Order: sequence, then structure tokens, then C-alpha cells
Amino acid sequence: MKGLRKVLTPFAPDQSGAVSVLYNLGGMIVIIDAGGCTGNVCGFDEPRWHGERAAVFSAGLRDMDAILGRDALLVSKIASAAQRIDARFVALVGTPVPATIATDYKALKRMLEKKVDIPVLTLPTDGMRLYDSGEATAYKELFATFAKDEARETEGKELILGATPLTCGEKYTDVTLEDIEGIRGRKITAASASGIEAAKLTGKDYEIRSTSAEELIASEKIEGKVLVCHDEVFGKTLRDNGVDCDIATFFTLHDEIKREGDVKITEEDEFTALAESGRYDVIIADSALKKLAKGFTGRWIDAPFFALSGRK
Amino acid sequence: MRREAITYTAKQVAELGRDNIPSELLSGQGLVYSSPATLAYNSPGAEGFGVKRAGLAVPESVMLIVAPGCCGRNTSIVSSMPQYEDRFFYLMMDETDLVTGRHLNRIPDAVSEVVSFLDGQGKAPRVVMICITCVDALLGTDMERVCSACEEKIADTGIRVRPCYMYALTREGRRPPMVHVRQTLYSLLAPMEKDPRSVNILGNFAPLAEGELQKHLLAAGVKNIRQIGTCETYDEFLKMGSANFNIVTNPEVRAAADDMTKTLGIPYIELTRVYGVRQVALQYQALAQAAGITIDLEDDKADAEQAVFDLKEKYPDLTFNIGECINADPFELSLSLLRYGFKVDEIYATLAPEKFKYVARIAELSPETKIFCNMEPTMLYYDVSSSHAHISLGKDAAYYCPGIPNVAWNEDIQPFGFQGIKDLMGRIDAAMEVRS
Repeated sequence: MKGLRKVLTPFAPDQSGAVSVLYNLGGMIVIIDAGGCTGNVCGFDEPRWHGERAAVFSAGLRDMDAILGRDALLVSKIASAAQRIDARFVALVGTPVPATIATDYKALKRMLEKKVDIPVLTLPTDGMRLYDSGEATAYKELFATFAKDEARETEGKELILGATPLTCGEKYTDVTLEDIEGIRGRKITAASASGIEAAKLTGKDYEIRSTSAEELIASEKIEGKVLVCHDEVFGKTLRDNGVDCDIATFFTLHDEIKREGDVKITEEDEFTALAESGRYDVIIADSALKKLAKGFTGRWIDAPFFALSGRK
Repeated sequence: MRREAITYTAKQVAELGRDNIPSELLSGQGLVYSSPATLAYNSPGAEGFGVKRAGLAVPESVMLIVAPGCCGRNTSIVSSMPQYEDRFFYLMMDETDLVTGRHLNRIPDAVSEVVSFLDGQGKAPRVVMICITCVDALLGTDMERVCSACEEKIADTGIRVRPCYMYALTREGRRPPMVHVRQTLYSLLAPMEKDPRSVNILGNFAPLAEGELQKHLLAAGVKNIRQIGTCETYDEFLKMGSANFNIVTNPEVRAAADDMTKTLGIPYIELTRVYGVRQVALQYQALAQAAGITIDLEDDKADAEQAVFDLKEKYPDLTFNIGECINADPFELSLSLLRYGFKVDEIYATLAPEKFKYVARIAELSPETKIFCNMEPTMLYYDVSSSHAHISLGKDAAYYCPGIPNVAWNEDIQPFGFQGIKDLMGRIDAAMEVRS
């Protein structure tokens, strides 16, 4: 049945992706929820939360706030906290609750900008899309707010976009607000699907490359026909390095990456059909997917993918 | 500008009075800082026995979470525990579902498919819990009706289908999620012939530690003591419907106990978990009086007093910082420790008006004890360096006080009575020993 998960747990949602991009930028992140979404983001999807304190807050919405649409109260709570917190911006991150009550983010932004003297970013994520979509939304909002139109070329200094913990686990790469401000003067590498979306916004050429995939190639001898189920950039990097592979991804598959045999999948059954098709000698994917490929008899190379399984 | 966490002393709070508790110490007054305590406290699915684990407390049950993907994301932590393998399933909502509500029509088919899937593995469930979240709370979904439709769809199996509400939005409401889920669980019980020698202990989802309460009940002639956490099969769970009376050990199960009185004719006695020796004795005396039994407290009481005495003798000036992720009311525990002659430097807990009575007493014994609220945004700047505590209690207190010993005291198995006091004193001693 479409949308029914019997084996896998849900993947990282867009709000987690948005927070992942914003996390270490010195802003005040307000998740517009009742508390559960913040619990999921901080307690599960954001490994950096366990290491250091961060200005991530829940709006603490209650039923009457949602039913009566108390935007003025929300703005007042955020403004009150902003006076007591040192932050370079306020980011409002959406969840299913504001999606259900059709919160007007533009209005929230205007109301809040009158009360705080730092930039306000709004990210209308809804918890029903996937993390790469939320990451792309966050990059777009950051660029629109902070990127300078003309930046001095900084020769040789590569800026990696999309290498968040959700895609890269513990090997993530942080960017800073200064990186975003000067992004048009930087050499850019897109490390994931959201990195491609972000790189496109600069209007410049960019490289597409996953260091995690390069490390895998360096450590494993990969022979035969391969099915890669991961982020698309991970798959493309394997292919660019001579691996004969098809990419299947539950996340974004850009036209510029897609080749014959590549496929965007949504359901568990689709992965099972591919894995058990007999076309592949090797599968490179998170081992959480193994339960869906009981009929696959080839070689399985584990490639942990936090956004998919929560494994680091 | 130097930033600091907002705090009030017990004396300041006491002087302001029950009706003027500072807003920074209360729940629902501002943004909520994402501290470990608030993730557990404010999020009904995040940690410990949240709604998801609680909903599966009934043996041989499985759960279908019908929600946006984000609501089920952290379930993979629970799913990785062996006892929850093949017990969580998901029907993912998309944006069209949100607008049209079409997902409701798909739930019976999803339940049927889950049951067939499990049946094929020889794991057919007896109960399917359907867990819905904030979205359906706002859509006003009639889950009773949806569950009836599911039961009709799989009528040949006899499997019960019940709703389970993970509504963080209603956390401060009349029926918050952890109250509601207990009502759902015990609503599965049906009237049956009463067994005068059977008693249920209703409280949490893991059982009370084996010990003195059960010992006193057995000594009074009770033959069967049932708790949901000790039932290994669904049929065993159903026998809870035969109890002569219920003992309620957590206020969150009071509504379920009321329901059981009405529907099953089972009355209940409520006990409160406290850490004062005298207060524990009063609890047992109340139980003895209400149940018409005799309870001999002397040995257990003497053991608890001895444990307190031993710790006090070994560490006469022991000073605590106390959090709220703990199997205790942090204010009652603080007061009890102060009464024993220990010191409490800081408390990290949300202060509800009904807890004010403890703060008023704390102010008399230790006016400078500082109270912080885990939810307050400025806890981002909390700095332990000004505290002179030797040890912290509560899992969340370890987060704030990384350099001193900690007793988390938040295990699933629940402490109670004199035994709880004795065990806690022992754990504190052990933690201090490790440090030295």
C-alpha cells in the first residue's frame, strides 16, 4: 500500500534538514511546534545537540494557540526570548501544526521584524517532505538574506555545501555565516542533493562530489554491476570513479545526475523489486535496507545514511 | 553583555506566593529551551515511556502510527530494542491527506495489511493501537469511528483496534497524552467475575520494583498482584479486570482508574511516591485503613532511617543539585533531603502551582536554594561554576553539572516506599564512592 511502512522507520523530515543547515550559524532557531518536533530534531536528528548547547527552541504551541491562530502571542514570546539571547538572526521553522492551520509566514516575519533588530528567516517546512527539501529551503533563505551580490574571489578556498550530519553523519562540514555572505566569491562543491540546489542559487559553476563515497572507493574493491541506494551525489561520485552502478534514491534525483537505470523510489516494495531483480552483483546501501532485500544473494556493502536509518 | 540563566531563590518564590509564581518558572509561558528535560517532558514521544512505548505496554499489541513522517522519526530508537521489533508500523501522511483527510479512508486497509504481514510471520497481534498526532487533533478526527471501521475490516480475526493520541498540543490540558494513553490501555479490560484476592497496581508502564508494597499485600492475604508491565500475555493482562481493588501510584493513571471504577466496578486507593520516611509511613497507614488490612511498617521504616543516617554520617554536608528527569517529584525530594539535614543548592524543574507547598517549606529550611526552569530560554547560558553541590540527582541534572557525580534515578523500573528511600541513599553513596 502506498505510504505504508512495514520495515523502515520514517526518514529525516524537512524540518530536520532546515535545522541541520542553520544549526551552527549563530542564529536563534524557533521550531513552530508543540514540542514533539523539537524533540525529534534535537533528540534524534541533530547529533551536534548532544555535544554543545544551541539556541534551538520550541514555540511550545498549545491547542488553543493553534485553534485561535494566536500569531501575536507567538511573536511576543519570540521577541521576549530574543531580548535575552545573543543571536545573529531568528529562524522560524515550520512543522505540521502551522501547515494544518495555514500559518502566514510572511505576516509572522513582518510582525517579528518590527520587534527585533536582527534578520528574520522563515522556513515553511511541514514535516511531510524529506530532509533534503528542508535543507534546500534553508540555503535559499540564508542566501536571500545574507549573501552579498558581489563578493571578492577567494582563490582556492573551497566551500562545501550540503555536507550536513544528515547526509554525512559524523563527517559533516559546517559552513559559517561569513561563508554564506561571501559565497559568490567561493569555489563551491555540492556534497548532496541539497548542496546542488544551494550551488545553483549562486549562478556559478560548481563541482559535485561526495568525500564519503570517495573514501568508500578507497577502502573497498567494488566489482560487477552495482545498485547504490543513498544520496544521489554519493552514487554519482561512485560512478565518476569507475563504479558501474545504477542509483536508486528515496530522496531528490536531479536531471543532471540521472542516467539510464537510475530511479527515484518512494515505497519499500520498489527497493525490494530492484534489489531482488537479479540485475545486481553488489548493493551499496545502509544496512537498514537489508530486511527489504531478503532475496538478494550478492555482496552488500554497508553505507550508513543517517537521514534514512538514523545510523551514524 | 554577560548573559545568565534566570533563577529565583526558594525564599523569593515563597514570598511572591502561590498565585504569583514568576512566569520564567512556569510551563506554557514562553518559548521552550531544548534541554534534555524539556525533550522528555514536552515531547510525548521522545524519551522513556512516551506515548509510543506506552501504547505498546499491552502484551501482543502492535502500533500503526498514522502521521506525517516527522512524528515517527525518532521511533527508530525504540524499534531497535528487541521487545519492539516488528511492533511499529507507519502510514505516512502527505500534504494532500492534510487538506482532504483522505488518509482516514486508508487506515482500515493499512491495518488489514499489517495484520496479514504479521500473520505471515506467525506473529499475529491481539491488539492494534492506532497512534495519531497533532495534525488529526486539529482536523478533529473521530478516531473511535475509524477504529470501529478497522475492527469491522478484520472482524474475522477478533483483533481489537484502539486509538492512541500523541497530541503534544494538549500537554497542559485536562487529558494530556500520558493520561489519555493510560485510559486507552485499560479500556481494553472487560467486566469479569471479581477475585477478592486480586489487586492491580496501576501507575507506570514498567512495573514497580519487586519489594515491600507487594510484600505487605501478600502478607494481608492478596494472592494475585498484577501490573501491566509484568503481564506477559494479553490473556494475563485481561485478568486485571478481575481485581478487587486498584492501587494507583501515579496521578496520571487516576482518570483510567476512575474509568475502571465506572465500567468494571473496581475501586481504587491512591498512593503518592515520596521520599520522606514519615510521609511514606502515612501512605502505608492510609492504604491499610482503606483496604482494611494490617501493615507492619517497623522493619522497613527502620531500614530506611538507617540508610539515611549512614549517608548523613558519612557525608554530613552533602549538597545536591536536583533535576526533574527523575523518579521523584524534584521539589518533594529536595524537601525530604533538607529535612534529613542535607543541603540542596539548585533545583532544575518546572514549578506548577500545586508544587508551591513544597517550595514554601524549602524556603523555611533553605531559603537560598535556587530554582531554575528547564524550559526557560536563558538556560542556554546556565553556568554550574557558581554551584557548590557535591552530587546531582536526575538525568537532566547531569547535563547541567558535568563535573560532579550523578545519580540518574530515572530507570523504567519504579522505586517506591521505604525501599525507594533506602535504594536511593545506597546509590548516592555508591556514586560518591566512585568519585573518591
